[in-house]
Amino acid sequence: MPEFDLLMPQTLPEALEMLGDRAPDLTPLAGGTNVIVYMREDRHRYKMLMDLTRLNELHGVRREDGHLVLGSATTIAELLTDPLIAEHGALLRQAAAVFASPLVRNRATVGGNLVDASPAADTAPPLLVMNAEVELASQKGVRRVPMDEFMVGVNETLRQPEELLVSIRWPLPATRSAGGFSKIGLRKGAVCSVVSAAVMVEKDEDGLCQSARIALGAVATRPIRAYAAEEILVGQPLKPQIIDLAGQLSAETVKPIDDIRGSADYRRRMVEVLVRRLLSRAAQEIVPRE
Amino acid sequence: MDHSKFNVLGKATQRKDSVAKVTGSERYSIDIQLPRMIYGRILSSPYAHARIKGVDVQDAEAMGAVCITFDDIPHVRYNERIITIPSVLHKDHFILADKVRRMAEAVAAVAAETEALAEKAVRAIKVEYEPLPVLIDPFQAMQSGAEPIYDTILWGEEEIQVENNIACSRQVEEGDVDQAFAEADVIVEGTFKTPKIYHAQMEPKSVVCRPESDGGLTIWPTTQSIHNVRILLGEIFNIPLSKVNVKRVPIGGTFGSSIQMNSVIPICAALALKARRPVKLTLTREEDMHDHTRYGTWIALKLAAKKDGTLLGAKMELVADIGAHNIQPYSFLGVCVGWLVSLYKLPNVRYRGTAVYTNKAPSCAMQGFGNPQVTFAAETLMDELAEKLGTDSLELRLKNYIGLGDTFWGQGPLVRSIVQSDGVPELLRQGAEIIDWENRPKPGSQSGRFRRGVGLARGFHTSSAGAPQPGDVIDFSGAMVKVNQDGSVDVITALMDHGGGTLDALAKIAAEALCVPLEKVNLAPAETRSTVYDCVTHATRGVYAGGGAVLKAAEGVRQELLETAAHYLNVMPDALTLKLDKQQSQGVVYAPSIPEKRMTISEIATRCWTESWKTIATVESYRPVNCPPAYVTVFVEVEVDTWTGEVRTKRAAMGSDCGTVINPDMAVGQLEGGLSKGMGYALCECNQWEPDGQIASRGYWVDAKTPAIGETPYVQDIHSYFADSYEPSGPFGAKGIGEAATNPVAAAYANAVYNAINIRFYELPITPEVILKAVEEKGQSK
Repeated sequence: MPEFDLLMPQTLPEALEMLGDRAPDLTPLAGGTNVIVYMREDRHRYKMLMDLTRLNELHGVRREDGHLVLGSATTIAELLTDPLIAEHGALLRQAAAVFASPLVRNRATVGGNLVDASPAADTAPPLLVMNAEVELASQKGVRRVPMDEFMVGVNETLRQPEELLVSIRWPLPATRSAGGFSKIGLRKGAVCSVVSAAVMVEKDEDGLCQSARIALGAVATRPIRAYAAEEILVGQPLKPQIIDLAGQLSAETVKPIDDIRGSADYRRRMVEVLVRRLLSRAAQEIVPRE
Repeated sequence: MDHSKFNVLGKATQRKDSVAKVTGSERYSIDIQLPRMIYGRILSSPYAHARIKGVDVQDAEAMGAVCITFDDIPHVRYNERIITIPSVLHKDHFILADKVRRMAEAVAAVAAETEALAEKAVRAIKVEYEPLPVLIDPFQAMQSGAEPIYDTILWGEEEIQVENNIACSRQVEEGDVDQAFAEADVIVEGTFKTPKIYHAQMEPKSVVCRPESDGGLTIWPTTQSIHNVRILLGEIFNIPLSKVNVKRVPIGGTFGSSIQMNSVIPICAALALKARRPVKLTLTREEDMHDHTRYGTWIALKLAAKKDGTLLGAKMELVADIGAHNIQPYSFLGVCVGWLVSLYKLPNVRYRGTAVYTNKAPSCAMQGFGNPQVTFAAETLMDELAEKLGTDSLELRLKNYIGLGDTFWGQGPLVRSIVQSDGVPELLRQGAEIIDWENRPKPGSQSGRFRRGVGLARGFHTSSAGAPQPGDVIDFSGAMVKVNQDGSVDVITALMDHGGGTLDALAKIAAEALCVPLEKVNLAPAETRSTVYDCVTHATRGVYAGGGAVLKAAEGVRQELLETAAHYLNVMPDALTLKLDKQQSQGVVYAPSIPEKRMTISEIATRCWTESWKTIATVESYRPVNCPPAYVTVFVEVEVDTWTGEVRTKRAAMGSDCGTVINPDMAVGQLEGGLSKGMGYALCECNQWEPDGQIASRGYWVDAKTPAIGETPYVQDIHSYFADSYEPSGPFGAKGIGEAATNPVAAAYANAVYNAINIRFYELPITPEVILKAVEEKGQSK
């Protein structure tokens, strides 16, 4: 592995100062499950790395103004045990349960997964359908960016070099809502998604679909929403016919590629299967009006 | 058979290495630390095919690293697998590449004080390459005008030209094939394709080499044969074998991948000799995935049969993708026809096998050495033949299989013996009952999302490569058994245990033969200078041949115990016998007719010691003169999801005829492991290569497609059972099990998927994507 300098700030202001002075030569390092791999295979050369693990400000999960706020250095493994995530972020927990392998889950962080911006990032589809925003801090202040805008392409985000992703927040899910996450890999464990999908639906008092959000991973240059499919569900009873149609429309939205993990055609077909399966399950989960 | 007459055989006993393994105190090659030891790294080629124009190690040496390049190594060509006799051995390999022929091939190597410095130094080496066209397809490689991967190689001691990148070929013809096909009522045929998959052994290949002051070497390697490593190192470095000492180190799984001397071993030896210090060299996982695979094959098979189901003959053409080096495809081609003609009675057979070089990872042995590939083809066609004839495929198999009294040459044309134990009918009948074979679905009878299918395949592996004549395969074992002063026993053998418990079986055989409690039998650490030769643990031979050697030595010890006791007791030796006294928890020599004439083994050994007489010990070599088939039948029930193409294993019945079962727990483990590995081969595993010769997974587990625990069938869904069988030529009636357990599995899955969705697959793996596409093309998707 090539040599590099490692900075180890103790507080967030210190970290932002280091970034402000040294960006773009300074790269933040959280769990290292991507950065170290890139370094070993010479895909990237990093002059300086900044270790984020000592910044208490990036850890913890809390409720705040009807939102759940998640520190960006929260590990994937922590998502599996945190009671607030269990209650208000069930989809993210589902994604965490099938995220890579236990060893990687112990190191990898939610913030790192989003900043790496792989089209197959497993935390992205749940956050997209939960209408999450990311908070980016720099010496100039803090700004919020909606999830659907944050990732712009393969390994590309709106984060500026001097900014640090500090937290992720989403509104607490409504009572008559339900959702789910599912992925298809080359095997069940220790895999990247060949296709991943998350859905979130909310019913009104009459049991009709009030809102629907569908997000898909590994089928475009970034995790995407299937807006066309979402729109046809609104105002409708969530019956098999309309769910089938939403599945088809989702499959039409995507622009997958052929690679080692699967063909574009297979991915398109699996989008249809996953969306159909997740919507059916979610529709049944929401308890009908008494 | 009735195990009650045995003291320890047939009973579940705890492995002697189990505590060390589960507590992490077992020391593998990678754990070896020596004083003054330094660390090696190899420089992996970034090209799959290139001439090396120059190597500049100045900067690396300036960092204090010891460097070796092609100029520093002995220019001796060798074959790292020496199981075939020297005169028919192809040799194309140097310690470091003379020319790069595959991705990540070692071009140079360094050794330095720390791993970090070694890594830094290896990156500082400058190599000038001249890239050459890369050949990843064997059929393109065979075309005239294709870039030659080799100009010449050695065949024995003779230098021969390589034409059209063909490494070697073999033809076999027996009987009158043309007449058999002319007389046939039915002919079935298919062209089958199987992938080059990675062994996925847990332990990365590692070695520690220490140069000795007498010019010799001590080596702690990952290997399946310490003696073959010694012979090769002696030959390459021109050191007397008496000065090359190779230690037996526990292996973290191999699946065949260490049957040859691993590529790191001679590199590390060269580094240690140059540095004059002990060196450790370990492959990274990425390097290891480029280092070895199973043989990829194309098999065109035709079977001819009469209306009544009697097989008449076969034609088989096989092309093997051997990758960049020759790790004995000559014997691979030989056994591949052996697998076919020893599976079913095929008196007339025409075979041509061709082994082709490509710029890919070298193919070497992997669980079955061609047997899973050939059995996939043969057992698929047997299913098709049964369907054509309108007969039950189980009955068709029973009618034609090679069984009791038949000639058997699984290990190739020169390794012939007669079958003396045969549990096949019992295995088939019992498995059919467990899986409810009679009521399996009719192909094409199902619709809807989930479809159930039941598949059957049978197979075997040879127990050793023994034969009445020497032949061209080297196969014999050796063992030493000695009685210690307190009556405990040391078993000393060079045999390797890949993790399946082979050495424990040997300890049990010694305990049984000497009527000694198992806990008093010790498996002594082994090294080449203090053990007699054992060829290699492969060919499902560990228990049968290695155990045979231990039994032979133990019988010598038993005889000496009787004679020694006869001397002390003043009784004729023939009047004495040996039994386990359970109350005293030790063996007792006694005269049945004169009860007071008795001595425990401990008393005998103690007197021999205190009266300054002798150690009771025997050393023996043992050549198996038979090669009995270890039979396995596999029934598997699957559920195919026609929405996603996924195949789930619902149930399996794994039946084994391994003769006397030495340890039932471990034998069941072999069957479960065989099912698991075979399932991966059938449904998921496939190394794909980019046009530039890079593995598409780049050597990362994440995309290596090896199944994990999530895909493995649940243990409670696997019904393992054993035939009531006794092999007359085996130690206490035992034969092998390991590779047999996996050989038919892929075929059973292919047949089960056919049964579920009425579509035949001729190419492995049968992935969800492949199934989905086929279902769609057949218009059955809804």
